[in-house]
Amino acid sequence: MFDTSWMKRWQDAVNANGPMSWIGKHLTADILLGFGDDDVVVHFKNGKIEKFTDQLGPETCYQLALRAPAESWQKFCEKVPPPMYNDIWAMAHPLHGRLKMEGDQKVLWQNMRALFWAFDRMREV
Amino acid sequence: MSKIEPIVGRYVWVTYEGTEYRMYFEEAGNPNGIPMICLHTAGTDGREWRHQLCDERIGKHFRTIAVDLPRHGKSIPPYDWYKENEEYKLTSTFYSGIVMAFSKALGLDRPVIMGSSMGGNICLHLAKDYENDVRALIAVEACEWSPGWHLDWLRHAHIHGGEVCATSVFGLMAPQSPDKYRWETWWYYSQGGPGIFKGDLYFYSYNHDFRGKTQQLSGKVPIYYMTGVYDFACTPEMTEEAARNTKNSECIIMEEIGHFPMSENPDVFNRYLYPVLDKIVAANK
Repeated sequence: MFDTSWMKRWQDAVNANGPMSWIGKHLTADILLGFGDDDVVVHFKNGKIEKFTDQLGPETCYQLALRAPAESWQKFCEKVPPPMYNDIWAMAHPLHGRLKMEGDQKVLWQNMRALFWAFDRMREV
Repeated sequence: MSKIEPIVGRYVWVTYEGTEYRMYFEEAGNPNGIPMICLHTAGTDGREWRHQLCDERIGKHFRTIAVDLPRHGKSIPPYDWYKENEEYKLTSTFYSGIVMAFSKALGLDRPVIMGSSMGGNICLHLAKDYENDVRALIAVEACEWSPGWHLDWLRHAHIHGGEVCATSVFGLMAPQSPDKYRWETWWYYSQGGPGIFKGDLYFYSYNHDFRGKTQQLSGKVPIYYMTGVYDFACTPEMTEEAARNTKNSECIIMEEIGHFPMSENPDVFNRYLYPVLDKIVAANK
């Protein structure tokens, strides 16, 4: 599901989103999304997804990684996601542990509103 | 004709443990009805209950009162808050004590207390310490132990407190709840005082731990547990466990709703709430 074509459609949905233009004004960060065994680094710049990198190499840098089984991301992306999968925190809460966070979590907290708004656009893909 | 709501807001000075607190409350309904105090969730205020305050069916038999705890909404902190040597941390002793002091200040006769989230969890403490002073407890989104929320990120100089408090709880609401009400709840959360949400969560995730104690409640006061299926902080299973351990209790699991039933989807919540209130009315005739 989360192949290059899907990533491109999500990138377009984020970049075309009206509120993201002001919610994401200060979002500039490199975030790794782990969809099961597949890693993609998403490069946000001023609230736009400037590019994404799905061929990670020794020069690929990122500040924060969010890793979950692909099945969990698929449920998150459903139009009406089921309980415990409708939100990043729902999946990441220690009670549930479906999503793991690694790296500089301050990046997430500083940009939470814009990042979560961008993730919600996954349901439009 | 203008659309004017029946809600009236006032302030009352409440003395608790030698300190005076100026507390704001809103009320509506039958002034001679059963008094019912509504307790808001962590970091926000009584506006969450506006739909229940305006509900005619609830107001027929109840005097419904939504209070802002000190440091929340329009209830200012004690005057020397800025000189405190420790950051704000809500405790079960202060929380239950100030609620009952508020009840006494208004002259309420054994009110029903309905609270959500931390307002639900405090119901267990009220049942333990004030069973003679309340007539029923409606514990919304309540459980014996709710870990994982007392985080320093929620009061951090490098992080926008309002946006992050609001966004971190947004996913606790069900996707089926109307957007207009979900984002209204987000708005309330964005307006808390600095460090207040975090301080409330000290009670929610640390100070409140009823594991092994719930069975010891006498059962004198009926407790109605109500939890939404989208609540990932207090899951239906966690509430069911608490209810199994509580004498004289009932457990209601609510479909297609989350952690803020009264504000995120009042129509659905009220449909679940009416039968509970009917039972309380019948028991008090």
